[in-house]
Amino acid sequence: MRQEFYKTLTSPVWLVILVLAVVLPPLLPSYYLHIVILALVYVALASAWNIVGGMAGQISLAHSLFIGTGAMLSTALLLKLGVNMWLGLVISAIISGVMGAMIAWIDFRFQLGHLSFVLITMAFAEMGTVIVEGWDFLGGASGLLLPQDKGDFLAFQFGGGIGAFWVMLVLAIVSILINVAILNAPLGYYLRTIRDNENAARAIGVNILRYKIAAMVISAMLSSVIGTAYVRYLTFADPYLLVSPIIIIEVVLFATVGGLGRAYGPAFGALLLVPLGEILRGKLGGTLPGLHYFIYGVVVIAVILMSPRGLLPLFEKWFSRMRPKAATSK
Amino acid sequence: MAEFLQALAQGLLIGSTYGLLALGMGLVYGVSGVVNFSHGDFISLGMFLCLALYSAFALDPYISLVITVPLMTVIGGLVYWYLLRPMVGHQFLMVVQLTLGLSLVLQNGILMVFGGQPARTPSVVESKLLILGDVVVRVPHVIAFVVSFAMAIGLYIMLRSTDFGRSIRAVHQNAHSAALMGIDVSRVQTLTFALGIGILAIAAALLLPGTPIQPAQGLRYTVITLIVVALGGMTNFVGIMLGGLIIGLSEAYGTIYLSDTLGMLLPYGIFVLIMLFRPQGLTWSSSR
Amino acid sequence: MLEVDHLVTGYGGVPVLHDVSLTLNAGEIVGLLGANNAGKTTLINSLSGMYAPMSGRIRFEGHDVTAMTPKQRVEIGIIQVPEGRLVFPDMSVRENLLLGGINARARAHRPRTMDHVLELFPRLKERLGQNAGTLSGGEQQMLAIGRALMAEAKLLMLDEPSLGLSPLFVQYIFGIIDRLHAEGLSILLIEQNLNLTLRHAQRCYVLERGKVAIEGASDVVKDDPRTRRAYLGL
Repeated sequence: MRQEFYKTLTSPVWLVILVLAVVLPPLLPSYYLHIVILALVYVALASAWNIVGGMAGQISLAHSLFIGTGAMLSTALLLKLGVNMWLGLVISAIISGVMGAMIAWIDFRFQLGHLSFVLITMAFAEMGTVIVEGWDFLGGASGLLLPQDKGDFLAFQFGGGIGAFWVMLVLAIVSILINVAILNAPLGYYLRTIRDNENAARAIGVNILRYKIAAMVISAMLSSVIGTAYVRYLTFADPYLLVSPIIIIEVVLFATVGGLGRAYGPAFGALLLVPLGEILRGKLGGTLPGLHYFIYGVVVIAVILMSPRGLLPLFEKWFSRMRPKAATSK
Repeated sequence: MAEFLQALAQGLLIGSTYGLLALGMGLVYGVSGVVNFSHGDFISLGMFLCLALYSAFALDPYISLVITVPLMTVIGGLVYWYLLRPMVGHQFLMVVQLTLGLSLVLQNGILMVFGGQPARTPSVVESKLLILGDVVVRVPHVIAFVVSFAMAIGLYIMLRSTDFGRSIRAVHQNAHSAALMGIDVSRVQTLTFALGIGILAIAAALLLPGTPIQPAQGLRYTVITLIVVALGGMTNFVGIMLGGLIIGLSEAYGTIYLSDTLGMLLPYGIFVLIMLFRPQGLTWSSSR
Repeated sequence: MLEVDHLVTGYGGVPVLHDVSLTLNAGEIVGLLGANNAGKTTLINSLSGMYAPMSGRIRFEGHDVTAMTPKQRVEIGIIQVPEGRLVFPDMSVRENLLLGGINARARAHRPRTMDHVLELFPRLKERLGQNAGTLSGGEQQMLAIGRALMAEAKLLMLDEPSLGLSPLFVQYIFGIIDRLHAEGLSILLIEQNLNLTLRHAQRCYVLERGKVAIEGASDVVKDDPRTRRAYLGL
């Protein structure tokens, strides 16, 4: 199983991505660069969420809490207490990890079914928005404004634009690679067993609590780090964007459209839908605000009804049909 | 003391409508296992339909019900038949995602038609007040309370003593057995969903007078409804109405005696604690 | 009255019943025997329309009912009393009986049929307002049969009516079956209790791994050495 992971690491695809990453961004108009960066943010977030929501089959809506912590707390620490944002990133990630572990423990301790898990994580998410909007330290309802990005790496500044692109690219790749690694490790096997039949997993002696906590902590910390990097790129820490349940609903839907539980599925969904949505918003956002969300909704309903396992398996099938002689991937 | 009574009145009045919102969801969950995450957006839809009817024909929201209730009932039936019925038997999680998608469609469809600015729909009773000693209540809240309880009692009687009501309970208690009685389970599920959405049209009009509305509000209503349903033990009729009152009261007292923020947190806090320690809901008996 | 012709049924593309044919004449009691997992319950549920057959035909009173929904089959009088009785536990005995007669054909005469059912089962009359979940197993079996009678069954299909009952109740229930037979009802009887079935049914079919292994008059089936072997699932 481990070879699978090393094979992924040494795939020639990386070279293509590297070349594209070096050549393309300087050529792109800043608007399209912005879309690429956004797509990478959601690729990273959807892949991070996939560890809990896809592999373990636990729909967590609490991830907006982790994204929000990464964004709002690190910003508040810098602005209110002068904490370096690198340190803020680490503190936020640790706090998110602890919160994730707590939620996983609650889930285990009280034997919540799928439905109760969705409901409780949703309640946590809502509490998160209420707390952020009501607590001035975190910026309240009006949000926080980060100092201008001067490209000072030690102050967690990357110079916007191409710098941000590289940061997001690295985060997206790391997030996907963590997915690949987990899927090919015992953890991935246990998570799938928990998803498919928790009682059977318990019966064969799988330590469910340990794996659930592991999945949740990894996923939460990753989401938090992405949140910090995202807010640095945005400069404005807007609670309505970063802590609102809408962000997690988007992430869940992208992952579903791409294909839950697969290493590349959620990334695929985000890559497909974010540019589509952003271009729609750019072209028609003035006359028809909300059109891109509307389209996301329609797409996810259509995909669930027609190909409940997501679009990626569909594309793989087409791809293997186009090249019948080539060895097909699993 | 006056403050205490004022909050009591306020909480009970609003809570009754929360209970009504949740009854529709509880019924749907009971017969088809569907938890509708677009519930609150259907409430929005009901409210904005009233707004549209006011803008076009100057109809009072209470009168618009004649149009919105049948319309929403039909929409509900179509949504279940074409979107949710094919999902029965699939993973529960897929239904969650599908209704989340539906929520985006509804919310942003409304946004595209009506714009994002908060809007009001006037009603003749909007600013009327009822003064009972130290307690001042708004007439629309009193109407909401009376209608909500009347609806709840009407539903209860319907479930107990009509063939359709007994079919709903039969499907809830054992769908296989219900099918063997010659009950068309899909049809009962569709009609129940339609009924649930129709109830929302009424609840929407009850909540509307004096309340500014905006397309993004749906999610919050969904959350409140889910909390009330879970408090009531998902399918327990009395429990759900009780859950509505508890959430209404905790909001009212929380905002008076605690800070605004803590007051808003209180219902969620109560919810999490109850889910953890009494996952079957508040009521003791399991009467369905 | 009932003709099943080369029926193949299964779940998810995997057949459970392979090519089952059987007939039941009006006014007959036909027994359906077999070990666990032989396909008896699958067969009875196919007859109720709960699964669409993969191939084959089902005819009832000369009409092809293969494509009919469960609801339509109830309306023409094919009624099942399911294994485990499956009464509605949180509804009263009265409500359970009313639900039994909810189909379009039976609905209008419910008060009359209810009188008949309560005369047949005086025990249920005493428990009319009680929740079905609080009844004993035997009483629940009475209720399940009563509920099927409320539907004005022409063909009554009983799935393991003696399961989990005390010998006294088994005797009572089979007395009722004989009485219904005497009143002219056609009955398809699935039973674990081999001797009881052979005694009450005129003809029997023995299912083995989804196929009819033996068929014939009860005496013949009784003396066939293969019967006991099939029944034990050897």
